[in-house]
Amino acid sequence: MRVRLLTAVTAALALLLSGCTDGDGSGTDRKITLRFQSLAWQKESVDANKELVKEWNASHPDIQVQYVQGSWDSVHDQLLTSFEGGEAPDIIHDASDDLADFAYGGYLADLSELLPERLKSDIPQRSWETASFGGGIYGVPFLQEPRVLIANKKILDSSGVRVPTAGKPWSWEEFRQVTKTLTEKMGEGKYGVAWPLKEPVSVTLNLGLSAGGQLFHRGDDGKVTIKFTDGDGVVPGTVHDQVNTDKSASGSTLGMGGSDTLPGFFGGKYAMVPLGFSYRQQIVQQAPKGFEWTVLPAPAGPEGPAQGVSPQTLSVAEDSPYKKEAAQFIDFMLQPRNMVRLAKGDWMLPTGTQALADPLLHTEKDGWATGAALARDLRSAPAQSVRGYPEWKDKVATPALQEYYSGAIDADELEKRLVRDGNLVLARYQR
Amino acid sequence: MTALRTSRSGRAGQYLALLCYLVFLAFPFLWLISTAFKPPRELGSLHPTWIPEDPTLDNFRQAFDEQPLLHAAVNSLIAALAAALIAVVIATPMAYVMARHRNKLSAAATGWVVVSQAFPFVLVIIPLFLILKNLHLINTLLGLILVYVVWALPFALWMLVGYVRAVPRELEEAAAVDGAGRLRTLVSVTAPLLAPGIVATALFAFITAWNEFFFALVLLKTPEKQTLPVVLTHFLGAEGVADLGPLAAAAFLATIPSLVIFAIIQKRITGGMLAGAVKS
Repeated sequence: MRVRLLTAVTAALALLLSGCTDGDGSGTDRKITLRFQSLAWQKESVDANKELVKEWNASHPDIQVQYVQGSWDSVHDQLLTSFEGGEAPDIIHDASDDLADFAYGGYLADLSELLPERLKSDIPQRSWETASFGGGIYGVPFLQEPRVLIANKKILDSSGVRVPTAGKPWSWEEFRQVTKTLTEKMGEGKYGVAWPLKEPVSVTLNLGLSAGGQLFHRGDDGKVTIKFTDGDGVVPGTVHDQVNTDKSASGSTLGMGGSDTLPGFFGGKYAMVPLGFSYRQQIVQQAPKGFEWTVLPAPAGPEGPAQGVSPQTLSVAEDSPYKKEAAQFIDFMLQPRNMVRLAKGDWMLPTGTQALADPLLHTEKDGWATGAALARDLRSAPAQSVRGYPEWKDKVATPALQEYYSGAIDADELEKRLVRDGNLVLARYQR
Repeated sequence: MTALRTSRSGRAGQYLALLCYLVFLAFPFLWLISTAFKPPRELGSLHPTWIPEDPTLDNFRQAFDEQPLLHAAVNSLIAALAAALIAVVIATPMAYVMARHRNKLSAAATGWVVVSQAFPFVLVIIPLFLILKNLHLINTLLGLILVYVVWALPFALWMLVGYVRAVPRELEEAAAVDGAGRLRTLVSVTAPLLAPGIVATALFAFITAWNEFFFALVLLKTPEKQTLPVVLTHFLGAEGVADLGPLAAAAFLATIPSLVIFAIIQKRITGGMLAGAVKS
């Protein structure tokens, strides 16, 4: 009887203890399952992610990860609803420019104390800044892409213009002159450059960093106001003049997305197209046989070839009971060799210093070397943590820039709208 | 003679307008089919052709390899069929009552139907999510079906009220004079005349549920529960970039069940209408 009682008490104690340890997520005596929502969508990228999850699951029988595929198209609304309903995935793949509202809203866990020193020191501070809000780290930036010029090699070589390198890119003024020269040599109905500006705001702001543009200025009180300096006018002015004055840029591509310009690029209608670095995959897939192309750095200004980027990030939901395990999984995913696999799969650049040094990412083939050389100049996108930015972008900046680029309004009107209307929008978010 | 000539030219004009409309409607679908059979290099051509120069099935192969299309299609089919069936079963008697017994309640119900159509998805999704969570119906097809039924019901009701009103009340009175009871009248007289309306309403509910994306995206969490529209977005990347070939192939396959069901049901709609014409 005593033995039975002792057994029962021991069993009850064991159960209680196991209940306590599981509750804070540090239990190792019971299998837990983490949900990882990935936005990888290209076959190579999905394969890389699934393989890594498989490898993790094989080596961590107690912490299993379930791979769930999300979609870039609707991730913000889907996550917001999931957060509100307490059903968010444990590990969340997103982009840094989507994190501010979630971080300030308390939906994401502060990873400052959860990430290992190895990972913290491997990723440069300028990248951490893209996912840091109010002193906390709410995502691990791991993949990024600069905007580059994809050029038709044959047209470029035969034109006699200086071919820029990552070390010596074109200035904005030189770029304008080059596109004029190319257009003249290419003949009627052809253009030196095609700007796909269906979404003109982030391109304009991110490239504007090279010319000293900043647009958003944070005061000592922490409030952000919009100021339009000479540097802010360089990129919009160049595009406007190429389209409307020099006729060296096609006006018809202003409303297009990047993919839409590729047929014209392959067909020799445009000599260059400014695109995200990852578009190279589409070019490799779709370019006609024998078509030669090359990757050039985007033009630089007084600030050098600096560019704003919004890296892809991995975050942990604040509601997850297994934050520590989720951070362990993120650390595994972002080991240097794994980060290289993810970068190759997505045709992007890793943020990690060790991964970026991998020889695979420095080959001349498909322009990897040019992109890798630009990585050190990538900064946090100017509007990264500005509250009210999405509304400013949709209601003020997008229509104003589209009208300016098409020649419907002049530079003064553009400045007036961006600043006056923009500050009214931001003020509502900063009361 | 002049009148006849005018009539013929008028008829020709009508057919021409109809043809233009059909071409307008069919254009995106035909382009979708064409894209589904094109290799990547043809998709990037400056001068695209209607007929693929080098047709391939690789897009279909890739679509099936990369995504669980069949499984997602089965989920979609279950959700859409169940939603259509339940919506019609609930809406038909309600519509009959609202059409035949006009009073303040039926007027209020009609008003509710109209107002309910004004709510956008994003406004209701969070409360709906919380309700379903409390009922433990998140990540279940049953939860999704309930949402689809609720979402389709007002419009289904509105459609059916119109169909019921179009059935002459005199037919039911004549049946009553001939000695038919209430139930017999409903089954033998009203129901056959209402069949085309019920079929059209079911079709509407089916297609709405089959194509619905946002609720499915938010309510279904695990890959094995996801429906076809959600899986199709997995071919889309950031900033509108898409894996166009496999996306077109998968989207083409996703339209087939709707087309098949519509083709089958269309005969019923026409048949039902003719039956109604003879009896009236």
